[in-house]
Amino acid sequence: MTVDADWTIVVPVKQVPDADDVTIDPETGTLNRSDAPAVLNAPDYNAVEAALSLRERAGGEVVAVTMGPPFARAVLETAVALGADDAVLLTDRAFGGSDTWPTSLALARAADELDADVVVCGEESTDSSTGQVPPGIAAHNGWAQLTYAEELEPRPDDDELVAVRDVEGGHERVAAETPVVVAFEYGENEPRAAGLHRKIYAETEFEPEEWSAEDLGISEQVGLVNSPTKVGGMDTADPVEREQAVVDDVDALSDRITEVTADD
Amino acid sequence: MTDDDTVHEDVWVFVEEHGGDVAGVSWELLAKGRELADETGEDLVALVVGEGVDDVGAEAVERGADRALVADDPVFEPYRAGPYGDQFRALVEERRPSIVLIGGTTTGRDFAGRVAVPADAGLTADCTELDVDDEGLLLARRPTFGGDAMATIKCPDHRPQMATVRAGVFDAAERDPDRDGDVEAVDVVVEADDALSRVLEREVGDVADITDADVVVAGGGGTEGDFAPVEALADALDGEVAASRKAVDEGWVEPARQVGQTGKTVRPDLYVAAGISGAVQHVEGMNDAETVVAVNTDPNAPIFEHADYGIVGDLHEVLPELTDRLGGRSPPEPTA
Repeated sequence: MTVDADWTIVVPVKQVPDADDVTIDPETGTLNRSDAPAVLNAPDYNAVEAALSLRERAGGEVVAVTMGPPFARAVLETAVALGADDAVLLTDRAFGGSDTWPTSLALARAADELDADVVVCGEESTDSSTGQVPPGIAAHNGWAQLTYAEELEPRPDDDELVAVRDVEGGHERVAAETPVVVAFEYGENEPRAAGLHRKIYAETEFEPEEWSAEDLGISEQVGLVNSPTKVGGMDTADPVEREQAVVDDVDALSDRITEVTADD
Repeated sequence: MTDDDTVHEDVWVFVEEHGGDVAGVSWELLAKGRELADETGEDLVALVVGEGVDDVGAEAVERGADRALVADDPVFEPYRAGPYGDQFRALVEERRPSIVLIGGTTTGRDFAGRVAVPADAGLTADCTELDVDDEGLLLARRPTFGGDAMATIKCPDHRPQMATVRAGVFDAAERDPDRDGDVEAVDVVVEADDALSRVLEREVGDVADITDADVVVAGGGGTEGDFAPVEALADALDGEVAASRKAVDEGWVEPARQVGQTGKTVRPDLYVAAGISGAVQHVEGMNDAETVVAVNTDPNAPIFEHADYGIVGDLHEVLPELTDRLGGRSPPEPTA
């Protein structure tokens, strides 16, 4: 164990299809994810920014981690271009088909392996929007969790992280012991742009480390077979029927609104 | 981690409570949970965790639960994932429920994600439809990809089958004071010292809840940052102001008022979308509105396809005129 007040800040990131380009196959009703260009999950930009800001205040380093096929390294390059010091790619056929249970296990093991003091995740992914991975990581490691965090205040000397959290109808300020897993609320900070030099470094020189399921000691606990949930089918949502009537003037619109609101 | 042959039965509903106030979605889940339990021939069990919450347990019985399990201790107030998670895990291991339903609030999602892991449970997020098949397997349906598709998620080999459910999807269970059921105090397994976090301050009531409003007037990029016409119309209709993601990202409106995939789902009688183009991510959050009115300068804006009544025009002209007419007809009720 090294005596080191600086924090290791791990940022799990995800490669997702660009939401604007996802289509549904009319024949099968499944999503054509492969047609869409893969990008860094939008809420993860806020997570990277929150991590970089913590590094500036607490000292230490930021390490991005993603689980995915070899080409998922592209989002690690994005994270490094934004300012992450290093990155690890968790890649193994054994991971294929993992739901949030094994995914959060793999990320939890990686965070532990990296000696993380703080793990900063995005709030949720835009392609599956469960928000289950951050608390899952915390649960696998028995660490504290701070979800829906809007502001972070590092207290490295006390081994604590303080967060302002969004709770129903208000806010709370919570102090958590490190190591701690944060899910940073989408849009709650202003992600910086990648610097040109950093960008060139990320694209030309940088090589992420690669870890397999075996490296993490979890070959028998990941993948589709070890995922409690199974997708039983996918279909296009029933469209909501609307009148789609365009009215000519405000009077007509006002009459409609009066009718609607008069019912109660 | 695959389950053995141990029998798991009963439908549990996590009753989310903060300082004595119960989240509305919990009563909605009791209504749906009652249906599922009747279908599978099992009991509906309410799980109440907090401090001084016996009466919440009793109310859960009045609203349809066969039993309420009450874990009562100061360590549970206010909510923290650690103590709640440890208590839940102990109860699940001891009593083995088949299905556990949790409200899809920030607290519910924080809790569900925490407890599903040690329970080896399958967890489906943000469901909008729930059913059971012939074998009693939970069919959890959820919108995916901005609401363009619905996925059905099953959990064939793991118990419990857990789901978080969006607020406002089901009608709340009514209270029936004549209903009988047990309110059972369970052993508290959590020590105060074990907690990994402590709440320093908690302030509720400073954030608007647009999910309960009967009328929602939402503004988007078309406001160009001027929300005064939106606020005036909301006022005249006694409704709440909401916004598209664009308006929130620009900092014009606070995030609590954002409607859409990364915001809230609303179910008002009337939803007015002013200067909102109608991206699928936004439409997903307003699809449950009874009537949708759209105001947009662009006649080809997708929002008109998702509206009952639309008018092509600048909201800065249309909204004030509308406010004028509506304000004149329905003056605000005098407050006592």
